[in-house]
Amino acid sequence: MRKHVAGAIGALASAAALAISTVGAASATAAPSASGGKTLVIDNSFQLVTADPGHMFEPSGELVDNGLYDTLVTFQGSDLKTVVPDLATSWTSLENSKKYIFHLNPKARFSDGTPVTSADVVWSLDRMVNLKGNPSFLLAGEKIVAQGPETVVMTSALPNPALPYILPNPATGVLNSKLVKAHGGTDAANASTKDTAENWLNNHSAGSGPYVLSSFSTTTQVVMKANPNYWGAKPAYSTVDLRNVQAPVQGLDVERGANEIAVDLSPAQTKSLSGVQIKRAPSPNVFFLFTNNDPTISTVTSNPWFQKAVRAAINYKSLVALAGTGSVQTPGVVPTVFLGALPSSADSKTSVSVAKADLAKSGLKNPSVALTYPTDVQVNGINFGDLAARVQQDLQQVGITVTLQPQSVQVALQTYRGGKEAMGLWEWGPDFPDPSDYLVFGPGHLVGLRAGWTTADAPGLATLAQKAADTTGTAARQSVFQAFQQQLNQRGPFMPLIQTAQVVVATKSVKNVQGNGLWLVDLRNLG
Amino acid sequence: MTCGTLANLAVINTSLRGRARRVTPAGLGRFLGRRIGIGLVLMVGITLVAFVLTHLVPGNPAAANLGQRALGDPAIVKAFNHEYGLDKPVVDQYVIYLGKLLHGNLGISEQSHRAVVTDLAEYVPATIELALFAIVISLVLGVGLGILAAVRRGKLVDGVIRVISLLGVSMPTFWVALLAFYLFFFRLGWFPSGGRLGPAVTPPGNITGLYTVDALLHGDWSLFASALDHLVLPGLVLGIYTVGTMVRFTRASVLEVINNDYVRAARVKGLSEWTVIRRHVVRPALLGIATVSGVAFGSLLSGTVLVENIFGWPGIGQYAYNSAINLDLPAIMGVSMVVAFIYIVVNLLVDILYSILDPRIELR
Amino acid sequence: MTVADSLPLDSDAAPPGVEEQLDRSDRAALRPPWRQPLALTGGLVILAWIVIAIFAPLLAPDPPNSQFAAPLLAPTHQFVFGTDQLGRDIFSRVLYGARLSLPLAALLVAVSLAIGSLLGAMAGFFGGIVDSVIMRIADLVFAFPGIILALAVAAALGPQLRNAVLAVIVVSWPSYARLARSLVLGARTSEYVTSARLFGSSGWRVLRVELGPNVAGPLLVLATLDVGNAVLLLSGLSFLGLGAQPPTAEWGAMVSAGAQNFNSWWVGLFPGLAILTVVLAFNFIGDALRDILDPRTARMLGK
Repeated sequence: MRKHVAGAIGALASAAALAISTVGAASATAAPSASGGKTLVIDNSFQLVTADPGHMFEPSGELVDNGLYDTLVTFQGSDLKTVVPDLATSWTSLENSKKYIFHLNPKARFSDGTPVTSADVVWSLDRMVNLKGNPSFLLAGEKIVAQGPETVVMTSALPNPALPYILPNPATGVLNSKLVKAHGGTDAANASTKDTAENWLNNHSAGSGPYVLSSFSTTTQVVMKANPNYWGAKPAYSTVDLRNVQAPVQGLDVERGANEIAVDLSPAQTKSLSGVQIKRAPSPNVFFLFTNNDPTISTVTSNPWFQKAVRAAINYKSLVALAGTGSVQTPGVVPTVFLGALPSSADSKTSVSVAKADLAKSGLKNPSVALTYPTDVQVNGINFGDLAARVQQDLQQVGITVTLQPQSVQVALQTYRGGKEAMGLWEWGPDFPDPSDYLVFGPGHLVGLRAGWTTADAPGLATLAQKAADTTGTAARQSVFQAFQQQLNQRGPFMPLIQTAQVVVATKSVKNVQGNGLWLVDLRNLG
Repeated sequence: MTCGTLANLAVINTSLRGRARRVTPAGLGRFLGRRIGIGLVLMVGITLVAFVLTHLVPGNPAAANLGQRALGDPAIVKAFNHEYGLDKPVVDQYVIYLGKLLHGNLGISEQSHRAVVTDLAEYVPATIELALFAIVISLVLGVGLGILAAVRRGKLVDGVIRVISLLGVSMPTFWVALLAFYLFFFRLGWFPSGGRLGPAVTPPGNITGLYTVDALLHGDWSLFASALDHLVLPGLVLGIYTVGTMVRFTRASVLEVINNDYVRAARVKGLSEWTVIRRHVVRPALLGIATVSGVAFGSLLSGTVLVENIFGWPGIGQYAYNSAINLDLPAIMGVSMVVAFIYIVVNLLVDILYSILDPRIELR
Repeated sequence: MTVADSLPLDSDAAPPGVEEQLDRSDRAALRPPWRQPLALTGGLVILAWIVIAIFAPLLAPDPPNSQFAAPLLAPTHQFVFGTDQLGRDIFSRVLYGARLSLPLAALLVAVSLAIGSLLGAMAGFFGGIVDSVIMRIADLVFAFPGIILALAVAAALGPQLRNAVLAVIVVSWPSYARLARSLVLGARTSEYVTSARLFGSSGWRVLRVELGPNVAGPLLVLATLDVGNAVLLLSGLSFLGLGAQPPTAEWGAMVSAGAQNFNSWWVGLFPGLAILTVVLAFNFIGDALRDILDPRTARMLGK
């Protein structure tokens, strides 16, 4: 997922007003189809560009490709902390996580009945990397080779303990290489200019997942039919119809029984619903505030006591209330649903008196600062502007004057990336569900630099970040990432605010509904 | 919709009349040649304006269309810029664009990764269907009310119709759409919430791209019902503004001829008032009404942005909106070209129609 | 057909005998606008809104951005228009919205009027290459339909109220240019202009002193009619998120919040009503003004 930028761009459509959407008239969609199976209609406010795993990096695309393609390993239900087998029955990590060996399931078959081989895996992953598209970074630097038809070996120069958490991303889905090559696919180094298979893959699928692609439109609907040659347990629904529906309407569709599942409702929009099942869980999308640590940008925001004052002044409870039931305060930058997250006891505490005292220590008199945030985006139904207005109100109470500076994503991103914002309100959605994705907040790293925070500002934390990147073993990683975040909360220029709620609403007829932070809803285990 | 249509109408109306000089209709070929020439120049001008506008953008398309991580990798950014020709000097980019344009190639959309032509082929018919429906509605209502107002001028009916037509041009379309949506979908459940077809329905085989028409051509009544069901509410909402302008124009046109000598003569001959109106007043007024509907159609095309937004109508307005905010340069250019093209063609047709219906007008 | 013989299509001649054919309604229309009920209503509504805009801080029960109430409360005695998704009082926000929409609409129209009539008058007066260049640009804007051009401009410059205003000006000026040009063309050949030029007045002087007053009337009527459109277009852009940005209390943006929470009808209804009343009031006045213009000019305005 790349909610933070490009995903955010996808969300643009729904941001200003309502996304392009299509809603059906109330009609019995769960009626048996001609083939005797059931149809499942899912309402989704589309953030969809492509069905080609090699290019795909948007939430709706993740949902579609999770139905069409198998990956080496995967997640089950809503659990993003435990990696389970998919195409690979087992895997081992060697040489301090620099080398992984995956053993493929010999039973795995593509939808045309041919077996899934190690050559297909290598070809698909190489193609994804060489296409130089949005997901390419996922496996950048990995050398992928086949050892015999059922074994794949991946090696990297640096330790990569996150690899098992990266591979469930449907962008690493395995394609039927013969078929895709026949339609213009290539895994060569120049694939970014020579590969022409995307169009074909938007009309056909070439995977081994429980569904095959029947029709695909990025604006109206995507229809998937059960894969007749599926090598796993037959899915409960023979047809899945993913329809583009504006978020506010989705609840009503499910309530009236027109459609089975809605995935884009904000907690506020579910309040009035009845007769449906509502699954609420914290999403991995983290809103955070930063104050630029670079004195040349602002002598106010770079003041460490000012940073402490801001952290204490924010009324986190009111932000959580704004984001609605299911959302939580984020104790650190790593969301609570991932390995290495801080316990909620580590939450930053709100105290107006502490904030005022800190501000007094800063020596700043009636400080005034501009808060920049993107306007044309929403995350799980939450507007940046709404949160910013609350932050402004909170800081006003301790004597900090905040001028709101809303900008379009395009403009705001430029200043944000250039490290030019004095104070910013942003969101980070995970690229993959592993704490190492959050090392970017460290000093001298991608997001750290945007807040004007260099390695020289906090050499100890920089060393700790490097240690976290190199540590292997679940327990050891857990503790080093927690230590990293505690330090970050104490002396970093970041104030993690909230995780939005992910809400899935379904009719009572659907069994085992589980939201998923990566692909919205788990299609494979529905009953 | 709101884009100054009233004023546009006024001005176009003026220019139409300005064109009406009494000379022979001999120069149809010359006229067509000249108008097509002007149209072409306009089209090129539009590509230039769109091009300049989209390159004024402070953001950059790679940032808009690539993920955060991908953006961190210079190789990926380079590949993206190369693929969309963004690594060349701006002037070269423009020349290349024009070159491709000559071959009917509008480039590849940066959002959908598809040919812009393919995208447009999908979205343009949806909007045309909506705009046509709105025009038909506003013709029926607008002309009817306009004639009534003219005949009963100065009476209460006239006053009421005047207020109605002013209301029509004063209501924010997006607000009416929202109210209609709330009332007819949410409260009453009479109409579906949006889209072009119900969930279990697959689109008809593509003939015109207008689902209602295609369904009829295929003789598929249930499909037609579903398509019409989805079309009615957004179509009505979109038509409200045009009803307002149509009423005013019809009333004025009818009043212009109603007191002429030949109309008086017809009255004197003892024809009933309504017959007189029908034969001698409405028929000549239709000429102007036809031209106005042509012009209104052009502006409706752009006016659908707000209505499509509320009703989730997958048309060109939504496409334009998404392209604009995603800085999808080829798509913005494509939309501008198509809408301008339709506008120019409709205007040309209106002029030709005018000359056919009224042979005294010479086409210059 | 008999029509062909008597239908006066030539715009340079008024329909014959219009004067003696005035019936009751036409005479009513010739009353000064302040004696016509619609225009009077419009004037009063505008006046009311101006008062509201000036005294909003006194009239509004709450500041526009304070969020102390519960979100999405239906209208009650305390919150007569209800509260929005952040618990802000919609009544207060609607009142404050007038402070934004009214001055901006006036500014928009004034600037478009100034730019458009200057360019149009130049085109009409000087003719030739000046005329061609200006009018081709105007054609370009006309062929590039309003909201799409505005969309492109606003998106290119970034979604801000200031840019939306610019976008609306870019779209609006050609109407004035065309009208000004045709008015000047009509007046240029008239005797007083010819004589002024004979007496050696410079082109600019003639344009300013002699033509100005004769051209100004119809242009002002068009401007009055256009205020409504400007309000609509601007609020439309804000509705799409390309104009005023949250938390600014702007009517179009507030209707957009209503679309997000469409089952809470009050969120979108009241700000939309505010837009409607302002636009309608201006159209009432403009409509009445148009009626008192002489028939030929009125026709140019699309009577």
